Amino acid sequence: MTAAAHPLAELLACPPQAGDLLSGASQILHFEAAYVVFRQHEPCKGLYLLASGSFARSAVRLNTRLALGTARSGELVELAAALGDGRHTYTLTAVSAGSLLMLPMATLSRAFDVHPPLRMHLLEELAREVSRAYTLCFLNRMGARTRRRQANSM
Amino acid sequence: MAGFHPHHAPEDCLNCEHRHLRMFCNLTPEALADYDGIGIMMNHARGAKLFSEGDAARNVFVLCFGQVKISSTSRDGKTMILKIASPGDVLGLSAVLANVPHEVTAEALEPCQVKTVRKQEFVEFLGRHGIASMHAAQSLSSEYLTVFHDAKRLALSGSAAGRLARLLLDWGRTAADGRAEIKFTMALTHEEVANMAGTSRETVTRLLNQFRRDQWITIKGTSLTIVKPEQLERLTA
Repeated sequence: MTAAAHPLAELLACPPQAGDLLSGASQILHFEAAYVVFRQHEPCKGLYLLASGSFARSAVRLNTRLALGTARSGELVELAAALGDGRHTYTLTAVSAGSLLMLPMATLSRAFDVHPPLRMHLLEELAREVSRAYTLCFLNRMGARTRRRQANSM
Repeated sequence: MAGFHPHHAPEDCLNCEHRHLRMFCNLTPEALADYDGIGIMMNHARGAKLFSEGDAARNVFVLCFGQVKISSTSRDGKTMILKIASPGDVLGLSAVLANVPHEVTAEALEPCQVKTVRKQEFVEFLGRHGIASMHAAQSLSSEYLTVFHDAKRLALSGSAAGRLARLLLDWGRTAADGRAEIKFTMALTHEEVANMAGTSRETVTRLLNQFRRDQWITIKGTSLTIVKPEQLERLTA
């Protein structure tokens, strides 16, 4: 079952009223492989829910290009932009053909008014993403250090 | 990376002259008045731990002045410094909102002033003010990119010189904030810099001396200026 097959209210853990509001305004967008869905720093049109396919996240920070990993079906992407200053914090590119559901910013704002806990729920989801990044990157750092130590000892 | 100036440290958030420079605290008057009423302002001595990895996340810490070392320890007991937090940074936010134990340890590198807010109080404050939750989202987003950035620096640069050069450039550009002069205060010891660059203390000392002899950097006390960033950039390629 794809992410889009779940009722939106269930995925976002919000009451049917807010879920229906978001479902009614949502747009399904289809992308071919290598297509750029949005670019870092561009104005954010809404919150995206990946329905099918896989997408790569990347960003540039202090002149360094960063690969932020792959996003898959069922994931909410760009919580930071939708909840933050409305600018994309990274670039999203389709790795394979896929589709996503876009929940427009204006409707998201209305949903926050209808069901205020939704904003905090999404903020918590963003925090969990940061927490997962710590785990992922810390393991990578330890891996890099171990590989370097092994290479030096050879 | 600003230093600590106790005589400039505010008693409360309403009278803080640095507020407009800090991402999180730059709030609307209504939200600011509310924010001023929550939490307590605390001073911490150098070496004081704000929280430790694995501790239950009970508070959010907003750094007003000073620098804080953020580190993590591996299973075999090796400590890795992930980043140096500077004024305006919100510490412990991801753990509090994700409802997980702290992923990292936060330790004062110099005397610090920190606003400490209890978890429930902070969450309720965010719920009351859209601008505060917006700033919290921006703070989380910045933390997210920093985690990946630090991981990449360590994982991809081939040489110790390249990793050290990348670290100096990152610190310099963050402190310069668009200004032409790339200058910052290096509060870490060579041992700690070595830890961040994934090399030994001896190598850091040798490389810094070499960069100085080549006139790529100048060092006066704890102040480091990058004179030829393009040379350091070449090392990172």
